[in-house]
Amino acid sequence: MTAESDSSSEFVIPISYGSSEITQTGKWGFQKPDTVFKTAPCQEACPTGINIAQFLYLANEGMYGEALLAILKESPFPGVCGRVCFHPCELNCNRTQYDESVSIHAMERYVSDATSNQTIKFVPLPSGESRRVAIIGAGPAGLSCAYFLSLLGHRVSVFEARKEPGGVMRWGIPGYRLPKSILKREIRRILSLPIELRTGIEVGKAVSFYELGAFDAVFVSPGAQIGVPISIPGEKLDQVWKGREFLDRINSKVKVKLGKETIVIGGGNTAMDVARSALRLGSRVTVAYRRTRNEMPAIQDEIEEAEVEGIQLKYLIQPVKVNFLKTKRLAVKFQCMKLSSLDQGGRPKAIPIKGKFITLETDHLIAAVGEQVDLSWLPLELTKNGLIEKNPSPKIFAGGDAVDQARTIVTAIGGGKRAAISIDSFFRGHDDHAVLSKIRTGDKGSLSMETYLRGREKEDWPEAREVVPYEEINTLFFEPSRRIRMRKRNRDKVLKGFSEVNLGYNAKEAKFSASRCFSCGTCNYCYNCYYFCPEGVISLDPAQWRKEVDFDHCKGCGTCAKACPRSVVEMREYP
Amino acid sequence: MKDFMTGNHAVAHAVKLCRTPLIAAYPITPQTAIYEKLSEWEASGKLKGIMMRTESEHSAMASCIAASLTGVRTFTATSSQGLALMHEMLHFAAGCRVPVVMANVNRLLAAPWGFWADQLDSLSQRDTGWIQFYCENGQESLDTVIQAYKIAEQVYLPVMLSLEAFFVSHFMEVVDLPEQEQVDQFLPPMDLPHKFNIDKPGFLVPVVPSELYQKYKYMAQGSMDSAKEIAVRVGHEFKEGFGRGYGIIEPIMLEDAEVALVTAGSITSTARVAIKELRAQGKKLGLLKLRLFRPFPVEAVQVALRGKKKIAVIDRNISLGGGGIFCQELRAALVHSSEHPLIYSFIAGIGGTDVTSEVIKKIALDVLKRDDPVDKPVWIMGE
Repeated sequence: MTAESDSSSEFVIPISYGSSEITQTGKWGFQKPDTVFKTAPCQEACPTGINIAQFLYLANEGMYGEALLAILKESPFPGVCGRVCFHPCELNCNRTQYDESVSIHAMERYVSDATSNQTIKFVPLPSGESRRVAIIGAGPAGLSCAYFLSLLGHRVSVFEARKEPGGVMRWGIPGYRLPKSILKREIRRILSLPIELRTGIEVGKAVSFYELGAFDAVFVSPGAQIGVPISIPGEKLDQVWKGREFLDRINSKVKVKLGKETIVIGGGNTAMDVARSALRLGSRVTVAYRRTRNEMPAIQDEIEEAEVEGIQLKYLIQPVKVNFLKTKRLAVKFQCMKLSSLDQGGRPKAIPIKGKFITLETDHLIAAVGEQVDLSWLPLELTKNGLIEKNPSPKIFAGGDAVDQARTIVTAIGGGKRAAISIDSFFRGHDDHAVLSKIRTGDKGSLSMETYLRGREKEDWPEAREVVPYEEINTLFFEPSRRIRMRKRNRDKVLKGFSEVNLGYNAKEAKFSASRCFSCGTCNYCYNCYYFCPEGVISLDPAQWRKEVDFDHCKGCGTCAKACPRSVVEMREYP
Repeated sequence: MKDFMTGNHAVAHAVKLCRTPLIAAYPITPQTAIYEKLSEWEASGKLKGIMMRTESEHSAMASCIAASLTGVRTFTATSSQGLALMHEMLHFAAGCRVPVVMANVNRLLAAPWGFWADQLDSLSQRDTGWIQFYCENGQESLDTVIQAYKIAEQVYLPVMLSLEAFFVSHFMEVVDLPEQEQVDQFLPPMDLPHKFNIDKPGFLVPVVPSELYQKYKYMAQGSMDSAKEIAVRVGHEFKEGFGRGYGIIEPIMLEDAEVALVTAGSITSTARVAIKELRAQGKKLGLLKLRLFRPFPVEAVQVALRGKKKIAVIDRNISLGGGGIFCQELRAALVHSSEHPLIYSFIAGIGGTDVTSEVIKKIALDVLKRDDPVDKPVWIMGE
């Protein structure tokens, strides 16, 4: 506030050569802005808890390498999930309430594809206190658990019964959805960590489960690969197959010959994979499901793809008998069904309509009505209701399709991560329940490894972040726009083999799609606070991740909080 | 060189002759002709300066202030509502001590709406700290612009000169246009000792404590006082250079006058004729023309009116609830004179009504008969 005299102007003009900063206008207010990062609903819904707003911000900035690293903090499989995930993130995207969801799924794939030449040099934590962990099964759960445990500095041995790692990603999902090269690349990246992978070792045969007791902890993730029998007369006929086995043969490059017509029983992802694979082997395919389309557990995209490719779906029928005809074809007798009251899972039950049947003729019948877990090699006390318990004893942990959780790749990855954190907590001697509650991303069960690592050293974690509801987004700052549909390979070509159907985005489509993200709860340096601040007291520097407020001169007007489109700035009263 | 032109064009010529590098303005009737003429010259390359076409008079004045602080001569012209809108910036200009020169064409202030001559617009800006001149005709308007720069650049205060709507702004008269060399000789390039220095950045108009604010005002008042003497000196210098002069006031046939009429602006020209006619009839009448209004030439007026018994002030303006503004100022200036003259206030010409020679003679004869003081102003209603 000094109005120094300027000798040359004879003290005529009221001009100050000092700074008005001497007046600490910041003392006038009673509240100050605070940067409060929150959980976006997409991240909450993602079973692997990927910080989607963060990776999309980096992608939008063209920093794809950094975006990949942001994903790899929470999941080692962006290339896989960018193709086969059922993307609950998109269903929960706040933007769905404005126009259309952000293309998160396609963007995860793009980030992975755009960085395919990049070699990641992982730096595991110091292994001073490292322990030894045995992992049974190199599927999505087992490999994820191995990845995170290795990053946490532990020594990991993975026992895989098959000759190659990957589990259901390798032997279950057909190549037109997930090319083997993508899977190989991601597994190679995981195995660049000091992980011992022992393939062709079946626990229970080559090594007994008890022998693994020498390890400090064991993670059990054998998957579920025994096809559930349909238990009807004629099931044992040569032309009646099981879905998982059929897919396994295809993925093992065993030559499979199908007749002109195939009926697939089931409504889940396996049924869809079987049906579309059968179509590619030249058969005409009908899917028979006992409920209706609304109740089908398969990923919506997969059902749509199947229909587009020419697969016929028949609802409300259930096979009751298969007869082998003189024509060497099969006659499948179906009981007609109707929907009834809801079952425990909230889906309507299908009940038979008395006396109403139909019979369909076909060359092959493939049942894809679910998979069971092989528990024969495990001690009985580790199992419950045909599944393995998640943490049946202090040093034994389980995950993936063999435990009681949704049977999706992404859930298995999330489960592997959860187990890795639990195992690490177990080694460090702290209560994993308390830790897991603080590092959760919202209330849908996913966890943040980034948060876990941040508090691990001091064993001190802040309370879990809030989830940003749509109402807290200032939509005035967004132009309505449509999401871009991913291009697909020509259908005629696609159906002649197992080449990938979806082609991904090009750079322009990716840039636009990333820019559509509201970035709920994450600062993406939009500079709104900076532009709107009437005092000019905010300084931002994305290169240094810097967001600073000159509190000596911030009057606490709250304009920045109102101008923040993504609910990151909050006003806090201070004494 | 003599030419036939309106008062507005005479002002535009003066601005061109003063080589003003920055003109910031917004058009408004009846001033627009100044703006248009300068624009025309800018387009044809005759004007060396820049015409800044601002979005309002407020911005025009702000631009002039800023430009002036960089050390260049500036000009704007406005009228009536435009001047009223500029009001806030007038205080800033005076407070920042910038030598901005402005021509104001006196036009009535709404409401109701009108375009006609009335001095209330500029007199309403009496207390903004601007030096104010009232011009009788186009020639005087031109000459006052040139003088205004020379005064402003010595006292570091802005100068406003007023010429009445249509009677001066639009009437065409013979005007003696000075030669460029003459003006250059009289008015050297502006060289302010204090201006913005890019190497020493400052913060203009900072918050100051009460005592400092008071000091700034005290100093400005001192500068205002000195402006009277400087205006007289500049008037003399002008007369030497150009052969014409006006003084800060002009006494006409006052020496032996019993009654003195006092006028400002274009009514003075008519009054000159009326007085001559009444003198011919043997009436002892004189006339005092007020040219400088701020600072008010108290001492000069006291000297000029010494010994007068009766004074009649004709005001083309009214301070509602008070009276004619020139009359108020005059009464205040003479309050300590030993003769205690009777000072009558006549309100004539409001809203552009015509103040003819007959009206002025009527006023003069009326005052000759009176012997009682009259506090209230006497309205001469136009027909």
